[in-house]
Amino acid sequence: MTALTAPKSTNANALLLLLRLRTFVALILVLAFFSWAAPNFLSTANAVIVSKHVALNALLAIGMTFVIITGGIDLSVGSIVGLCAMVAGWLMLNGINLGIGYTVWFNTVEIVLIACAVGVSVGIVNGVLITRLGVAPFIATLGTLYIARGAALLSSGGRTFPNLSGSAEFGTLSFPFIGAGKILGLPIIIWLLVLVGLLAHYISRRTTLGRHIYAVGGNERGAQLSGVKVNRIKMFVYMFSGFCAALVGVVIASQLQASHPATGETFELNAIAAAVLGGTSMSGGRGRIGGTIVGAFVIGILSDGLIMMGVSSFWQTVIKGVVIIAAVVVDQAQNKLQARVALQQEAANK
Amino acid sequence: MNLKRRLLMSAIAISMAGALPSFAAAEGTIAIITPSPDNPFFKAEADGAAAKAAELGYETMILVHDDDANKQSELFDSAIAAGVKAIILDNAGADASVAAVQKALDAGIPSFLIDREITATGVAKSQIVSNNYQGAQLGAQEFVTLMGETGEFAELLGKESDTNAGIRSQGYHDVIDQYPDMKMVAQQTANWSQTEAYTVMESMLQANPGIKGVISGNDTMAMGAYAALEAAGRTDVIVVGFDGSNDVRDSILAGGIKATVLQPAYEQAQLAVTQADAFLKNGSTGVDEKQLMDCVLINGENASKLETFALTE
Repeated sequence: MTALTAPKSTNANALLLLLRLRTFVALILVLAFFSWAAPNFLSTANAVIVSKHVALNALLAIGMTFVIITGGIDLSVGSIVGLCAMVAGWLMLNGINLGIGYTVWFNTVEIVLIACAVGVSVGIVNGVLITRLGVAPFIATLGTLYIARGAALLSSGGRTFPNLSGSAEFGTLSFPFIGAGKILGLPIIIWLLVLVGLLAHYISRRTTLGRHIYAVGGNERGAQLSGVKVNRIKMFVYMFSGFCAALVGVVIASQLQASHPATGETFELNAIAAAVLGGTSMSGGRGRIGGTIVGAFVIGILSDGLIMMGVSSFWQTVIKGVVIIAAVVVDQAQNKLQARVALQQEAANK
Repeated sequence: MNLKRRLLMSAIAISMAGALPSFAAAEGTIAIITPSPDNPFFKAEADGAAAKAAELGYETMILVHDDDANKQSELFDSAIAAGVKAIILDNAGADASVAAVQKALDAGIPSFLIDREITATGVAKSQIVSNNYQGAQLGAQEFVTLMGETGEFAELLGKESDTNAGIRSQGYHDVIDQYPDMKMVAQQTANWSQTEAYTVMESMLQANPGIKGVISGNDTMAMGAYAALEAAGRTDVIVVGFDGSNDVRDSILAGGIKATVLQPAYEQAQLAVTQADAFLKNGSTGVDEKQLMDCVLINGENASKLETFALTE
């Protein structure tokens, strides 16, 4: 019996390994394709540019991954991006008027911190709605999607905050540096991705918090019974997601040196796509930060590569959809195969 | 329960009746329906129409359809119910808006269209649109001159489902393609969006480092593209936009973007209100239904006179 199944199971194991690494395989495939098909794609300078574009979506997707692992969803991230961009723009141009003839102005660091605080606050609202008021995550964050976008529009009456190049008087000259500046030859947004990525990876793999995040998504009732503070864990993931979105908002405002209230529309969908492509299960309990980042790179390389090839944006949209569905189909295949291999091994061990 | 509901209804009826005389006190109310004012262009339309209406003694009712034809239809119902005298409309779709305008006409309310046409004639009293084709040709001619009639360039297209995106691109090419040394090396949509234009520009620049110029379907995309060029240290690249926004005006004055084309949104909306007023008083606008307004080239010479989509003298 053992002799008969052994070669089969080795094949299955090899296939399983390939399926597990599918996002990585997809990454190598798209890289190889565009290096061949798109002019100047394979260059250090372009690698930096692509990473810079990917970093925005990857940051959102990291926050989204934690949320999805707990079995939730955060639809509000795109609106938080817009709101935080507007907060940064507002603080740069208007300061905060105390109403008694004084206006408080902030320097770059303070502006970044306040914008992040706003993002985290929206996350807190999401968390409270979900944990205390029992609103389903999809509905709660759909609500905050509208509220945050509306607030962004209200902040400027729908206008763009232009010319955010900073002023020496208020210590904001360094604001454009966030989007355009480089450290050791790499744009700051890439360093942000590296930092947040490592932090999130560390949390998910090495900390109790991380184990609890997986536990909540895997079996919420079971986690609760074994002493996991489920509500606290959920609060954390939505706050973290809000924080990531705030970073993205600030970076975009700085890159464009302008903030527009429609910034970040549909970003939430790209973030979900990256997480799913990276192997995060929408039903919770399963997902990896590394996978999500690779997923974001696959999507980003696809769209940048197609732009460089001059392919119509209509096709870009279709292709993105196909890739996402393919990823989930492969995911299902992996699950089935995994179950079969496990059964075979069990049978073999008997 | 029933009594309560009846009381509520009568309360609403009384409050509505109370609200109506305040409309009637003036010449009547004009409804101004535009896409979302998060684009300053549409805001200028609404502001221009409202200012003119106030000047002529009308009350205004400013509504936003967010480019949603269904919402637009509902807004028409509300405007008809409120008994407005006329409707100024920047519509939500050439085909999808005909029924709404017809509905208003059937209720005895004339509509005056600005910025975008509908596919039917005889339904609206006026259709005043900017001559996008003429404007694009102006922009393209300036672009060709700035480029010295030679070199590689990229084009940023607007949302491809929007007719104006196509008309502008056509206008650009009908001029530029006459110059054999002008070579388009990249053409991509950035969906009218500043953020998208930024990333698309970065990628196009990677694929084609020899780009000397960028011609853009609108000003927001021109702003995004210029930010990307600035980040790449390529401020030598000539950027030309379309719309005549204050942001691009400031950039032109600071030596960034080189030129744009003004669509006189403010003036156009005012003209529509003037024609509405003429129609209400004399039963006729006195002009043809379809009217084209010429666009104006904005560059370093006249940029300082530009303010919210209007040139001051």
